[in-house]
Amino acid sequence: MKSFVIKFLEKSEGAKIILICFICSLLGIFLIYVAALNTKPQEVKLNEINFGLIGRVISTEGKIVSKNSHKAGHLFLTIEEEDTKIQVPIFAGLMSKLKEVGLSEKDFIVGKNLFVTGLVSEYKEQLQIIPRKIDDIKIK
Amino acid sequence: MILEILSFSLFGILIGVFAGIIPGMHINVLLPLLLSFPLLIKIEPYYLVALIVSAALTEIFVNFISSIFVGAPDSSTALSVLPGHKILLEGRGYEAIKLTVIGGIGALILSLLVVSSLSPFFKILYDFSRPYMHWFLIGVTIFMLATEKKLKKIFSALLIFFLSGFLGIITLNSSLTFSNILFPLLTGLFGLPTLLTSIFEKAQIPKQEEDEKLKISKKEIFKSIILGSIAGVIIGFLPAIGISEAAVIVQYLGGANDARNFLITLSGINVGNEVFSLISLYLVNNPRSGTSVAIQKIFPSLNFYDVVLIIGVICFSSGLAAVLTLYLGKKIPKYLEKINYTSLCISVIILILGMIFLLTGVLGLLIAFTSTSIGLLCINLGIRRSHCMGCLLLPSILFFSGTTPCILILLKI
Repeated sequence: MKSFVIKFLEKSEGAKIILICFICSLLGIFLIYVAALNTKPQEVKLNEINFGLIGRVISTEGKIVSKNSHKAGHLFLTIEEEDTKIQVPIFAGLMSKLKEVGLSEKDFIVGKNLFVTGLVSEYKEQLQIIPRKIDDIKIK
Repeated sequence: MILEILSFSLFGILIGVFAGIIPGMHINVLLPLLLSFPLLIKIEPYYLVALIVSAALTEIFVNFISSIFVGAPDSSTALSVLPGHKILLEGRGYEAIKLTVIGGIGALILSLLVVSSLSPFFKILYDFSRPYMHWFLIGVTIFMLATEKKLKKIFSALLIFFLSGFLGIITLNSSLTFSNILFPLLTGLFGLPTLLTSIFEKAQIPKQEEDEKLKISKKEIFKSIILGSIAGVIIGFLPAIGISEAAVIVQYLGGANDARNFLITLSGINVGNEVFSLISLYLVNNPRSGTSVAIQKIFPSLNFYDVVLIIGVICFSSGLAAVLTLYLGKKIPKYLEKINYTSLCISVIILILGMIFLLTGVLGLLIAFTSTSIGLLCINLGIRRSHCMGCLLLPSILFFSGTTPCILILLKI
């Protein structure tokens, strides 16, 4: 630490500013990252999800109205609330993780409520919510 | 109805002047505040649209006054900061303002012609280009990095791109995201570092000449307007490419190297971009700016006559904004010459920080601190600050390549 301080003091004015700015940038990014790790996603009603939310992580809830399995292991759900429908694709990677905790395709029963957290995305001009981890899916 | 629309347009112009004259202020910050007023929620949607469009256009014109006269650096670093400041330090700030007005009005006419004549093709082009968008954005990024020429500077630019890009991912794609988050992010990357540099360099605005002559040929003016309008429409069409990237690309490809050419082009890009962003709501049904997002909330789907109304308001407010900008461009520098420039910069910084705290809280201040550090790092490394646009480019590249979920899983956010 002492040698770092001595080396720092020996540097030119410009180099010192660059180093301070760089350290501040890294420190700020680290703190924001920690805040992001500990922040719960915003809860949004299904009928309030719009294209403006694309790229954001949100939580929402709706009744499962249809499900389609893909031979590659993906499961495509559609959830609905007050006439608003949205797709929830659960990709094979997450599906296999869900199976490890005892949640299979059979548990996603049409008519049950699904609480999902995920990334709002767009596919073929339709909005969808992509869950990314086991905790992102809760069947009620 | 026409009288009401004109009245609301005039009110919007006033808001635009306020947003444009205060450095660091942006119409995207004022819009959520405005739209939350109960009185405004109840008014006729057409009047609200007139207010928003005129405020956005006016801000573009008037904003050049604050960006040229406030935040000016010391003459030794002027070239590495902004061409507008270079002209200001020659004592010809008013000429710089006049050039931006010429560029803006020229681009307004030309971009309306371009958009209306090519309107049938935008939807086809939009659908066709979407799957390849990330490759295009990667290409633009590589081009921007390569324009630094020297290897050391390219590495510095790469560092800034990834620092701001990572900051963009964790602020825009994580659970942290809230409305107005772009305000501390972009103000920190671009606005605050300029003001801080001005304070430390103890810059003073030199006495300004009253000569109204333009030191640029008509041919060069036309060339810059054409380049600016086309670039403005193109970046209005493309996501995440900022005005600054477009200006740099045009500077290289189109030969707009002179500070005067650059200012006309820059203003043209700004206006062309906003015109296309507003009309894109009708053409591709996808909002391309904060203003168009606000309009989409009022009118979920626009018809042809709504677009005609928007174009009418654009023309009316741009004309008035141009006259106002020229008037204020003459008056404001006289006040600025008399006041203490350092005190002005400090006051503006306090105002911006106050607004960040008010709109985004402590987290917003932390984002502003981080992005200001990156912006200052960029200035001190001697590279262009457009590399800070990595904060939008990197998240967009990930989004269009479909890798955002993977990255978020990797980061556990």
